Amino acid sequence: MSELFAAGPAGAFATWVAALVTIGVWSYLLGQRRIFRLAQQLLAGLATGYLVVISVRDVLVPRLVQPLAAAPLQHPELWVGLALVVPLVLAAWAPRRIVAVPVAVLVGGTAGFALGGAVAGTLMPQLGASLVSPTSPGGVAGGALGLVVTALVLLSFLHGTRRGRIMGGVTALGRWMMVAGLGGFLGFLLVSRLTLLVDRVGFLLGDWLGILR
Amino acid sequence: MSSAWRRRAFLAPIVLLVLLSLAELAPRLSALQLANPDASRAEALRAALAAVPADGVALVDIDADLGTYPEVRPAVRAALDQLVRRGVRIAVVSFSAEGRAIASAELDRMQRLAPAAPLLDLGFRSGAEAGLVRSVRSIVPEGVGGAVAAEIRRRGGGLAAFDAALLIGGGEIGPRAWVEQVRTRVPQLQMVAIAPSVLQPELEPYRASGQLKALLATVRDDVAYVSAVGGWSAPRPGVAPVSGREPSALAILLGMLVAIGVLVEALAGHLLGPVGSPASRGQEER
Repeated sequence: MSELFAAGPAGAFATWVAALVTIGVWSYLLGQRRIFRLAQQLLAGLATGYLVVISVRDVLVPRLVQPLAAAPLQHPELWVGLALVVPLVLAAWAPRRIVAVPVAVLVGGTAGFALGGAVAGTLMPQLGASLVSPTSPGGVAGGALGLVVTALVLLSFLHGTRRGRIMGGVTALGRWMMVAGLGGFLGFLLVSRLTLLVDRVGFLLGDWLGILR
Repeated sequence: MSSAWRRRAFLAPIVLLVLLSLAELAPRLSALQLANPDASRAEALRAALAAVPADGVALVDIDADLGTYPEVRPAVRAALDQLVRRGVRIAVVSFSAEGRAIASAELDRMQRLAPAAPLLDLGFRSGAEAGLVRSVRSIVPEGVGGAVAAEIRRRGGGLAAFDAALLIGGGEIGPRAWVEQVRTRVPQLQMVAIAPSVLQPELEPYRASGQLKALLATVRDDVAYVSAVGGWSAPRPGVAPVSGREPSALAILLGMLVAIGVLVEALAGHLLGPVGSPASRGQEER
C-alpha cells in the first residue's frame, strides 16, 4: 500500500484517478496512443502549473515581493537580483549585450559552484581515498585492478596520435571496459525500472482493487 | 510486420503484466529472498540513525524524483519511522520542485499516521546548489515557528545545527551535491543517503571513502534495512509504520528473465543478420 492518499471519499477518488491514469499510460503498450498522449499532456500541464505555483508561493512572494515591500532599502541585493532577472525575462526583445550580462552571471555562478564542489568535494577526497595503502591482499588486488581499468579507459580516449599494434589493442580493450561499465549501469537501470513496474502492479492490486493487503 | 508478429507484439505486454500480477499475488517463497544477506549496508544506516541523540535534530532532505521514488519509498519510510520512534526531531527540506511534491505527500502521510511526531516543514529552497550553500548559514525561513525551529535557531540556524542529515536522492540535487557543497563547508555533519539503483555507481565511491556515513542504493539493501528496523509489520500506535508487503522477489525475477529474453532475442537477431531479424522475416512474409 502506498498510503499516499487519506482514507475517505477524497482518497478513494485520488486512488481511482491514479489507477485509471496508470492503465491509460499502459494502453500505449497495446497501441492506444490517444489515451497515452492525454496522460502525457495531463502530466505536462500539471507539472507546469505546479512549478508556477511553487515559484510564486515559495520563492517570488516570500523572498522577493514581501521583503522589498516591507523594507525596500534594507535589501539592496534583491534589487541587484531583480535588475539581473528583468533582462532575462525580456530576452526576446532586449538587446543582446544587455541580456548577455545576467546570462554570464548565471553561467559563471553555476560553473563556479559545480567546479569548486567537484574539485574540493569529489576529486581531491576521492584521490585521497584511493591513495590509502590497502592492507589485505584482496585490497591490493582490487586497487591494482581499479588502476588498470582506469588506465585502459583513459587510454581509449587517446586521439590524434599514431597508434601502433599494441596501443591499438590497448585502446580497444579500454573501449570494451567502457562498454562493460555501461552494461553494468544499464543493469542497475533495468532493476530500478522493473521495481517501478512491480510497484505499479502492486498499487493496482492493493490500493485500487484491494486484493493485496 | 506480419499478423503473427503484430499479435505477439500485442500480447507480450499483457502476458508480462499478468505474470507480474500473479507473482505479486503468489505467497512469498522462502527460497526467493529479496533482502541482501550481507546486511552490512543496512546495518550501517541503522547504526548511523541510531547514533542521533534522542533529543537531537535530524534533517531529512527529500529530493527524489517521481520516476524513481517508489523504489526507495519503503526504505525512506522505515528510516523516518526509526527516527520518529526514538523521538528525534525531524526537519524536512527540498531543493527541487519535484522533491518538494514528494516531501509534501510524505509529510501529509506522517501527520496523518503520527500526529504527535515532532516534524518541521522547511519547505522548498530555491537556487539548486547555490540554495544548498546558502542553507549552510541559514535554513529556517523567516516566520517559521515551533519548538523544532526554535531549537535549530538556538543551535545556529544553519546546517551545522543538525546531528545528522538523511539525504533522499534521485533528482537533480542529490547526495553528490550535498557531499560536494555541504560536506566541504560543514564537515562535522553526518550524512547518510537513500538513493535509487541508478545512482549506485555514482554514489558508491562516496560511501567507500567515508564521505557518506551510510548508503542504501539497491532494492536488496532497502529490503534488508526495512526488515532490520522492523518494517513490513503491523501499525504501532503513535508512529508512522511501513505498512504493505515486501516487494515480490518472484515478480522482479520474472521481469529480469523477460528482459534477458528480449535482449537475447535482439542479440540473436543481430548476429543472425537478415535471416533471423524480425523485420526481415516480416518483409519475407509480405
